[in-house]
Amino acid sequence: MGENTNLISAGGGIAGRNKRYIVWFYLLNLVFAHFGAAVFSDNAHTILDYSLYSDKLLHGFNLAVFVELLTRPEFGPLHRSTAPATLFAVVFFLMNLLFMPGVLLGYASDHRLPRDEFYRVCGRNVWRFVRLLLFFTVIAGIVAGVLFGGLNALIAAADKTSNERLPFFVQLVGTIIIFLVLTVTRIWFDLAQTDAVLRDEPAVRKSVFAGFRKTRRNLGRLLGSYVVIALVALAVLLAGVLLWYAIVPPGSVVGAFIIGETTLLLLLATRFWQRATAVAFYVRELTEPTVEEVRPVSAFAAPVVP
Amino acid sequence: MPVSLRLAVCLLAASLAVPVFAQTGDPVGLAIPSTTSAINSPTPLSQRVVAYDMDARYDAKAHTLEASETLTYHNLTGQPLDTFPFHLYLNAFQPTSTWMREGKREGTRGQNFETWDSKSYGAEEIKRFEVVGQGDFTSQLQYIHPDDDNKDDRTVVQVHLPKPIPPDGYVQFKIKFHDQFPETLERTGWNRDFILGGQWFPKVGVWWHGAWNCHQFHASTEFFADFGVYDVKLTVPQYEVVGGAGIEISSTNNADGTKTVAYHGEDIHDFAWTASPHYLIHDDVFQGSTGPVKLRIMMQPAHWSQLGRQVRALKDCMDRFDRWYGPYPYKTLTLVDPDPGSPAFGMEYPTFITGGTFWWEPEGFHGGSVETIEHEFGHQYWYGMVATNEFEDAWMDEGINQYTEIKVMDSMFGATGSVLNLWGITASETDQARLYYLGVTDLDPMARNGWQYADNNSYSGITYGKTALILRTLEGVIGEDTMRQAMRAYFTRYRFTHPTKEDFLKTIEEVSGKNLRWYFDQAVYGTQVLDYEVLKIDSTPVDWYKENLKEKKGETEYIDNVWIHGKGEFVIPIDVEVRFDNGSKVREHWDGRDRWVRYTYQKKAKIESVEVDPDHKIQFDRNNFNNSRTAEANTAPARKLTNYWTCISQFFAQFLAWWLV
Repeated sequence: MGENTNLISAGGGIAGRNKRYIVWFYLLNLVFAHFGAAVFSDNAHTILDYSLYSDKLLHGFNLAVFVELLTRPEFGPLHRSTAPATLFAVVFFLMNLLFMPGVLLGYASDHRLPRDEFYRVCGRNVWRFVRLLLFFTVIAGIVAGVLFGGLNALIAAADKTSNERLPFFVQLVGTIIIFLVLTVTRIWFDLAQTDAVLRDEPAVRKSVFAGFRKTRRNLGRLLGSYVVIALVALAVLLAGVLLWYAIVPPGSVVGAFIIGETTLLLLLATRFWQRATAVAFYVRELTEPTVEEVRPVSAFAAPVVP
Repeated sequence: MPVSLRLAVCLLAASLAVPVFAQTGDPVGLAIPSTTSAINSPTPLSQRVVAYDMDARYDAKAHTLEASETLTYHNLTGQPLDTFPFHLYLNAFQPTSTWMREGKREGTRGQNFETWDSKSYGAEEIKRFEVVGQGDFTSQLQYIHPDDDNKDDRTVVQVHLPKPIPPDGYVQFKIKFHDQFPETLERTGWNRDFILGGQWFPKVGVWWHGAWNCHQFHASTEFFADFGVYDVKLTVPQYEVVGGAGIEISSTNNADGTKTVAYHGEDIHDFAWTASPHYLIHDDVFQGSTGPVKLRIMMQPAHWSQLGRQVRALKDCMDRFDRWYGPYPYKTLTLVDPDPGSPAFGMEYPTFITGGTFWWEPEGFHGGSVETIEHEFGHQYWYGMVATNEFEDAWMDEGINQYTEIKVMDSMFGATGSVLNLWGITASETDQARLYYLGVTDLDPMARNGWQYADNNSYSGITYGKTALILRTLEGVIGEDTMRQAMRAYFTRYRFTHPTKEDFLKTIEEVSGKNLRWYFDQAVYGTQVLDYEVLKIDSTPVDWYKENLKEKKGETEYIDNVWIHGKGEFVIPIDVEVRFDNGSKVREHWDGRDRWVRYTYQKKAKIESVEVDPDHKIQFDRNNFNNSRTAEANTAPARKLTNYWTCISQFFAQFLAWWLV
């Protein structure tokens, strides 16, 4: 637990010293989401701005009126609103992929990374990160597929009883287990990415193996750290929703914006905290002396039998 | 009387009686019981046409049932009857039945499967069909298809008797039948070790308006039957917990590990039952205006924590119906919580309803079990007692019930959040009915046979949604109190009968003292859609031509114009409220007969807003957003929603990036 705490606080320290990355990524997240919401916004303004009926959505939130709004022909098909949001979510994801190497190097540095160095390392690692993403997608996809398949079979078996809670709890426990397994996979590839950046390792498979070895040897510490931070993220999300409900008046657009965006900023920060924790762990691993098992060299080679 | 004369009279009587008996097949001493042990009334409440006496043995492993049925029918049609049709509903659960074809076409509840599952098979097979006094007709039974040409449909069977049953005569049928229950697709059947026995016995049709009314089992509609007396003995394994319609007379354990539970029902037109080893029973009492009603709640163990909520909801509903529309006169009501995941939820049978819930159902969500309980209990009135023909007038069954659901639920939980009031998110019963209706506004009229709607969405949207909205709007035309009086009068006048749509509409006209044909012709018999809009508003200074005109609030005089447009075909008089920026307002009344109307004012004020139907009396306007228009834009609602949308998009993007990078 003590080591975990150290790791978590070390990661927190790194993320705290490099707040600018969180801020930049948050701004990207916000701006892209804003673009993604443009069609929705235009449609909503067209219908709502001059109608008294829209009051049912301002002072309170009448779900049926909202559905009525979405189904109005002048609002257009819903996919016209969801498609841009999805597109910009993908763009945000690509931005993460592109700039994460610079963030990792910045986290590992004891000084503020110059801008040119940041972009240089991003450029050097683009292709590596794409390949790591492919590795991750295949491995996580197989793992998730097998686990979800097993879980579905268990739920189907549990569903044969009349105990309605059993399938629910099977699902809950199964989902937690899958979350933990996928978190382990995420840790593995977080370390692989860190390895690729910090060792400037062009052979991605070596980084994958390095990430795997480190994860396997330090699974408890790393998983504990990630889970604790994930729980913090969950607490942030719940607190944000509770605050939104408790203190923001239904008609307050600004209040809702502040609470919502603060929550999203903090959520993003927890992911960077995990990243920083992985980097802290990796750097420690590099600096700590490792005692390698010395194998006796045999004076005589074994006879080769043709 | 001398012996010889007495003998002569006897011989004469016998000579007269023999031909009559031979002609009618009327066994001596037949009658429909006039008992009143199951109702809070000293006399029978209905004109009892049928008496069913059934003895059934259920095989819980095979989901089959062997039964004998003795049906006594009283011919009150005023004419001789030589043909009798019977419903065999369980035959609907076969791949080629009309119900299945319609269901597959429409994708109704539980039937949108891609491949046929043998567990979905159901059957109702008559092993022996005897007419007392006339013989065995088993081999002469004929399947008929009064509603379509589907020769593979076996849900209605007909028997022709060589000896007609005279007016006021009786006939007795003795039927042995075998049931195979399907795994519940909807309405009836088994799920795991639970069974809902609905529509399970051969049931005679209704002689209505000079002809037999015995429709096939359809995807949308199923109910129409005569009132009578039911005596049912159910033999099930002893481990089963059993419930049924009517009052429980006895429960006897048998030597073979089974038990026989006997039920008796009066002035009802159907009988349903249920069994499961898992039920937990709660008995309670509701004090109705005609006497106590024993409530039996049969709950799933996982839902036991919700018992209090369900009992409270049931009693609150019963109380409102009793006060508003009339008494519930039966001595029992059974509320069944079906097996989790079973599509047997939300069903109505006389004195017997199924609810349905899930163990984590939140308090603020009223649209789940509470709404279901309300709806199914409401059917005790609109179907159970006021026994309309659901096949042909589904709106009088489901629709009127949906309307009273709005009234009762609004009364219980408030008009804003009667379906949902959770975390600031609300939805009302009227909102819900609007959503049903808005997707299918003009496909079908309310007055249409249930199986002849364009599709299931139209059936649901019009039958449930439009009817409820039409009746809610009618409150605005004749007044809410008058509407309630009309509903009470309708119930009081037509309970335990089979009223028609005109009976209902004329009752409303009579009680309100208004000719409402103009409304009913459009709303009930027509497909016209209502859509009023504020087309545009304009405030132009009177002195617009003057150079360097400086407008000053309260001093500058304007010509204010308002255009109201009737976009739909439905014509109904409406109020229009025009508000000005000096705080004044004007109410106009438009008969709606033209396509548009313009109102012009000359005032030292500009128009601030215009609203059609400012009291929100009209509930079925296709587009409520265009019912009003403001001079200045209020961007806050759209910004609020956009903010929600943005936050959700951001979260989604973060989630994607979180896991993949």
